[in-house]
Amino acid sequence: MIVALLILHGLLAVGLLGAITHQALSVVPLAAAKGQRTFVDRFRGVNGPAYATPIVVLFVVTAIGGALLYPQYRIDVRPALEDMRNSAANGVFEIKEHLIAIGLGLLPAYWQVWRQPLDSDAVSARRALTWLLAFFVWWGFLAGHVLNNIRGLLS
Amino acid sequence: MTHPGLKIFSMLFGVFYIVAFYFDLALFRYYPEARQFHWMRTDGIGVVILWYGWIVTAALASAAVAVAVPRPVAERLSSRWVWIVTALVVIVTLIYERRWFV
Repeated sequence: MIVALLILHGLLAVGLLGAITHQALSVVPLAAAKGQRTFVDRFRGVNGPAYATPIVVLFVVTAIGGALLYPQYRIDVRPALEDMRNSAANGVFEIKEHLIAIGLGLLPAYWQVWRQPLDSDAVSARRALTWLLAFFVWWGFLAGHVLNNIRGLLS
Repeated sequence: MTHPGLKIFSMLFGVFYIVAFYFDLALFRYYPEARQFHWMRTDGIGVVILWYGWIVTAALASAAVAVAVPRPVAERLSSRWVWIVTALVVIVTLIYERRWFV
């Protein structure tokens, strides 16, 4: 059961990572491309507002999955890391839990700023809030991935 | 559909979360080995998870302020403050959590 939940949590995180990365790059201010569109142009050429609600839903559902997995981590993984004297790995996870919690709180304003009419205030807020969320998601994903594989990585 | 109080909520959530974390103000505690929730610290039933309690503390505190702030005041607040305050909270958190890497 816990393995199935871990895999589902990972798959949802992959979806969230892709969506937030598309949207984060879509708000990067770049000069209009001349000539043929590159891969990067196409990657960032998405309809940003259409991503906002799916990102909120994916963030919340993925965070709930992580919260359900957390007791297993606290009972099995963390003591093992402490036995290995690997405080850096525990630190990476501590930061992950803080960033995901702060990200949950950020979602209402993020969602609102993607729905309101675009003025100069909203442009900078959209960009900054999206980049902050993207940072949280990337940190969470990489931390989770490394911790999930840490025994193999350290062997 | 949207409400200006959402900005207040998001701006303050990170602040209240980090205060709850630093001062150990979890609304409740979960003991995974005993599979029990407790309002107060309970010794002898294994390791404790405070994270859920910190999130609920921060959510309730920031929601209370967001509801209490008059709508005209919330409408005047620039969305910019949400990301500035949150970015500062993240920087403070990362500085504090350096303790794991020394």
